[in-house]
This record gives sequence, C-alpha cells and structure tokens, in this order.
Amino acid sequence: MKNNIKVERAIHNITQAKLAEIIGVSRQTINAMELNKYVPSTVLALKISTIFKKPVNEIFFLDDED
Amino acid sequence: MKSRFLFSHKLKPLGWVLFFLGLILGIIIMLNDSDYPNWEMNVFPLVGEEGSFLSSPAFEWSKNNIADELASVLLIIGGILVSFSKTKDEDEYISTIRIESLIWSVYVNYGILILAIVFVFDMEFFSVLIYNMFTVLLFFMLRFHYVLYKSKKAIGYEE
Repeated sequence: MKNNIKVERAIHNITQAKLAEIIGVSRQTINAMELNKYVPSTVLALKISTIFKKPVNEIFFLDDED
Repeated sequence: MKSRFLFSHKLKPLGWVLFFLGLILGIIIMLNDSDYPNWEMNVFPLVGEEGSFLSSPAFEWSKNNIADELASVLLIIGGILVSFSKTKDEDEYISTIRIESLIWSVYVNYGILILAIVFVFDMEFFSVLIYNMFTVLLFFMLRFHYVLYKSKKAIGYEE
C-alpha cells in the first residue's frame, strides 16, 4: 500500500511531529507510514483522512504488491 | 489502539533497576562458582531428591544458598518489566515492532538452543540451560530497543 501523507502534510503545512500529536501516535509511526514501511490500521487511516478532510482512498492506495 | 497485557510506562525504570541488580548478582555468582555470596536460608523444597550426593527431601525445611534464586527472580521480573512496560508513546506501530521482536527472539533463542542441544554436552549443557532461562527476554530486549532506536533515528533524516 502506498500513501501521499507527505504531500497532504505539505499542503496543510503540518510537520510529522504535529500530525503525530494530533492523532495521538508516535512520530516514528508517521515516518514509517510515509516511507511505506508500515500499513496503518483502519482507525489510524480514518483519523488521518479526517484531519486532511479527504476520503481515505484519496490518501491511501493499493499498489501492485497488494 | 489499546495495547493489552502491557504494564504501565512508569514500571520500566524499576524493571531496569531489578534487571541490572539481577545481572550483577548473577555475574558475581558465576565468577565465584556459586560459592559467594553465600546467603544461606531455610527453604522449603516442594520437589525433593534423595540418595544422590545432595539430599534435600521434599516438604521438609532445609538450608540453601538463596543467592542464585534471588538473581534469577530479579532477572526475570526485571526483564519482564523492561520488555512489557509500554514505551512513553506506545501506539500501533510500536506494538507491531514489539510483536515482531518477540517472534524474532523466540526463533533466535530456540535456534541457539537446538545448536547447543546437538553440540554441547554434560555440565556445559547445564550451563546452557541456565542461560537459556533468560535469553528469550534478553534477545527480545536487544532486538526491540534496537529497532525502536533505528526508527527514532530515521525521523532525523526525514525532516
């Protein structure tokens, strides 16, 4: 799975640390997601979609491996 | 995400203290061939042994140096608290690292134990069994904290 959290962060001008704080996760989690090293839970994906005010599947996408 | 079966973050420092006390005591005992320190106390064995060179029947009070028992209990309780206290910012990703590290440490531990079963014999194997009581926890602690450290360091490169 891929995502464009990094792009959305840039659009909303939010740092990794700030985003982590808002959702209540560690900074490592945000970083690992942006590096496509970690696939978040549905709960976390929904929280991120709420913050960026976009549907989940405009932020997270399946890739060829899925 | 709610993490089940974990201790409060506050217990982690206590875990480190107990673990290192146990480690230091254990090393002292090993270096002195279990002769020192000699903290002899009355003990109540639930399982006994008679007829061999040491006689300690079950369900009767007898004397035993409790230094090794103390070191073992300190190492295990300390190790469990260090391993399974929440990190300050425990979340689903850290829980994933935790579970993966636990699987990894079980594999490594039993891999080494199989090697020892095949290649180590007699009293040396008994020593292997003693170390093996603590190595699952030790390997877990090393792997978990190393991966945590690496993921924290990765943040530095990103922003």
